[in-house]
Amino acid sequence: MQIKNLKKHYLLLFVTLLAMFLVYPSQWYPFDMRLTLTSWFGAENYRALPQSTITPNSQSELACPNDPSGWRASQIIDGVSIEESLPCLADNPYGVAAFVLGTNNVSKETLQRSGLTSDAIVKGRDLDGDGDPDEIHIRLEVAELNGSSPISKRPVTTYDIAPGIQPGIWVFAPKLIGMAVENFETQEARYSLKLPSPAIRVEQGDVVKITLENTHYMPHTLHLHGADHGFIDNTGEGNDGVPLTSELPILPGQSRTYNLTPRKAGTMFYHCHVQPHVHVQMGLQGLFIIEENRPNNNLQTMNLGAGKVRAPSQSLKESYDSEYDLHYLDLDKELGARIQDNNDPRLITQSMHRDYDITDANVDFFTLNGRSFPYTFRESLIVSREGEKAKLRVVNGGSKGIALHTHGHKFTVIERDGVKLPKSNQTPQDVLWMATSQRYDLDLSFINDGTRTYGPGIWLYHDHQNKGTTTDGIGPGGNISAIVDKEYLDESGWPMTRGVGYSQYFSADYYKKKIPIWESYIPSFYAEPAKDNILLFRILLLMLFFGSFLAILRSLYTQRKKG
Amino acid sequence: MINQKLWVILLSLIFMHQSHGLQHSMSEDYGSMVMSSNHNNLPLGCERISGEENIIVSAGQRYAKDIPGTIYGMNQHEWDVDPCTRVTVTFINEDDVRHQWMVHGLPKYLYPAGMFYIEAMGGKTATGTFIVPSEDRNYLVHCDMTQHMEMGMRGQLVVGEGSGDLWAVTGITDPFYRASYLPDNLIYLSLVVLFLGYSVTSWLVRMRQKR
Repeated sequence: MQIKNLKKHYLLLFVTLLAMFLVYPSQWYPFDMRLTLTSWFGAENYRALPQSTITPNSQSELACPNDPSGWRASQIIDGVSIEESLPCLADNPYGVAAFVLGTNNVSKETLQRSGLTSDAIVKGRDLDGDGDPDEIHIRLEVAELNGSSPISKRPVTTYDIAPGIQPGIWVFAPKLIGMAVENFETQEARYSLKLPSPAIRVEQGDVVKITLENTHYMPHTLHLHGADHGFIDNTGEGNDGVPLTSELPILPGQSRTYNLTPRKAGTMFYHCHVQPHVHVQMGLQGLFIIEENRPNNNLQTMNLGAGKVRAPSQSLKESYDSEYDLHYLDLDKELGARIQDNNDPRLITQSMHRDYDITDANVDFFTLNGRSFPYTFRESLIVSREGEKAKLRVVNGGSKGIALHTHGHKFTVIERDGVKLPKSNQTPQDVLWMATSQRYDLDLSFINDGTRTYGPGIWLYHDHQNKGTTTDGIGPGGNISAIVDKEYLDESGWPMTRGVGYSQYFSADYYKKKIPIWESYIPSFYAEPAKDNILLFRILLLMLFFGSFLAILRSLYTQRKKG
Repeated sequence: MINQKLWVILLSLIFMHQSHGLQHSMSEDYGSMVMSSNHNNLPLGCERISGEENIIVSAGQRYAKDIPGTIYGMNQHEWDVDPCTRVTVTFINEDDVRHQWMVHGLPKYLYPAGMFYIEAMGGKTATGTFIVPSEDRNYLVHCDMTQHMEMGMRGQLVVGEGSGDLWAVTGITDPFYRASYLPDNLIYLSLVVLFLGYSVTSWLVRMRQKR
């Protein structure tokens, strides 16, 4: 009886082994065995590879939302003439007017339309009698975009740097009255609340006060990198914004005023100096521009989100036709996610300032003026006209260097870190290496001489380090933008490109890596292949037989033990 | 009165872009603002003003210090009023930065965007009045500056019997998503206790069998 039982077991073992051998895919046989089999039987029969599957159409945003408010057009508001801004999304011109006149001097109507508080930018007396105010009081708050909430797993006060991309961000923000979101029905941050922190403009010799009102939940300061300011101000308070050397940080709900009367003009930088390796990287940084003193120089004190300066200074108008502030910033998605994990400030602080190790970190997103491609095409295009000249003030606020490259143009560096270069050093170039926090003023001329430009067109400009042109490794993305001749812009401000369609770049799925990049060209070439269900079936069968094989083996073992 | 009408017109223009055509009425005073004040217009279902309620709200980081996990707060985070009460809120901002006391979900025919709110600049006090509707309901009250609600400035206005507590009202109800405050070596602790349970039980079983 027992021997018979054992025999049965051996037979079953053999049967399952044989079944496993039969279903085992022949393409996985050892190399030598396959060679031998080929020499006996020749190649195996053709089995068609899986068909291409077509990705279902993903939701695509409108490339260029229309501008019902007429914000793009040139206009005069409260006597301030505001230049046109041709790309699709333009700054609120009422904000521009309020920044030029001061929120204390504009009409009530303009102030309301600007969305600013009445103390956001206060302009006082004309101290040198040259027709423009020299007492400037700027107020900044600290805002968090894409942060966490105790009632939702989705980010709150959202800001997309590219379709569907919402990294946690901190910015210095102008004082905006009312809600931080567009309305109660959405979590979208209001239009003027954006990355990067505003570019700030003051005049050489102005008596400037900057009050940082810390509306955030962490301590912060303001450090005026490169701008002429005292270590201690005239009231004896620390004025450098560095907790290690000059003053205590500003705690939540508190404020401090920084004072400066800059003697030198130039393109400078401002940033938080509390745990700067994290806070600067999170977005607490902006351009700080000191313009040369000129009569009647009513400056646009803030340029929200950087970009085209719509009310440029007198000195700019002497030598240029337009001016652009370009702010490059890279972001680490793992760092940004740390403000989205939970809602307890103690845990967030631990996560950002102890658990996060920047020496092991890498950057994933590359922004120009707060956005990555394709959103850069909505707001960061440089618009050229033949024969004109543009001044670019560029800062690399990111943690890595950038190799700024222009297609179709060679630009000239005129200033570095706010200091003029000698004429002999001003030679045209088309790649510029910019270290972290470095500023360059560039002369970009649209003079068709084969050097300065090769003629009108749609010419990209971007970081030529390859990853800078991607969004978390997906291209085209990153800080790609373009220098576009006015003739190449359509009515809405969108460049009339002649290459690929943009709809897939405006879908969140593309940057979530869900869309095969060339599928639309020829699906059978580039789409995703379907899965090999036959192979899958064989593997599952193999596993099934292997399972019974093990069960029989176990039964055999217990039988023998009993025996 | 004329002024108020003017603001309605102006603001409807302004918020066309920002808030999709919602109308607002507001008054501003030294940088502070009260939006959608309502002293006399009765909500539907209210025959008359049932009573007067004066609420004094103090706000600032000081009120968060005793509540773990918050940064900003108010002296209280729940207010109970009867239906159809005329509520006058005095909002005292004790911080150096802006704060808001904002009620959502009010009837839109009286309150543009269903919202009544007071905004006070740092160190300022502002006062506003509105009339609550007739039905029992809980209204969200918060500060809409980024992260202020999330970091503690989240309250509820309970009209009549209310309609059930809102989540995450500071000091009143639990957050819907609560972080888990557990030691890092949880896995080892759990395994040790698992082993302990296993060995003690087997020992007990063996003792019993021996008997």
